Amino acid sequence: MITGFAIACFVFSGLAGTYRLLVGPDLADRIIALDVTLISLMGAITVDAVRRGDESNLILLVVLAIVGFTATAAASRFLVHAAQKGMAR
Amino acid sequence: MTIVAHLLMALGGLIAVLAGVGLLRFDTNYARFHAAGKASPVAFLVTALGASTQLGWGGTARLAIAAVAMVLTLPVGVHLLFRAVHRTTAGDHLAADDLASAERAARY
Repeated sequence: MITGFAIACFVFSGLAGTYRLLVGPDLADRIIALDVTLISLMGAITVDAVRRGDESNLILLVVLAIVGFTATAAASRFLVHAAQKGMAR
Repeated sequence: MTIVAHLLMALGGLIAVLAGVGLLRFDTNYARFHAAGKASPVAFLVTALGASTQLGWGGTARLAIAAVAMVLTLPVGVHLLFRAVHRTTAGDHLAADDLASAERAARY
């Protein structure tokens, strides 16, 4: 029951990130919103692994951590590039 | 499951709610980055701590690797984002911009 509450909290955090992704005034908010959504997904995967008792998909967390970082770094480089070119931020 | 695992995972969930609320409620870019860049990894670390008490050594090892990977990489990514925004936007909402002079010298 409490783990259900924990997963509900991570779902709320993901929804908050999705809201900021859709509404966010500029590109930077969208980048950080995706990052928050990704990390709340990682938390939900952890709690789900405990609920179901199997550890098979825990290795997914490492992949998500590395991919999340690479995406944020690449997107922030694009942010600087887009601003210099005067593209919509 | 032991009460410690329940408490830690519920605490991790609450901290994740804090990150979400921080993302929603703060109005400036920098405040949102700070909330997201700081609260969400702590939420994951607390949840991983609680979960590792329940999973065997294999699960704890996987969680440890994921936690180390995140703690090493996430601050760097959020810092890159901070710097990108700081270099491209005029800091009008900033009361005092101590970094502006250094940034102007490093303008590329």
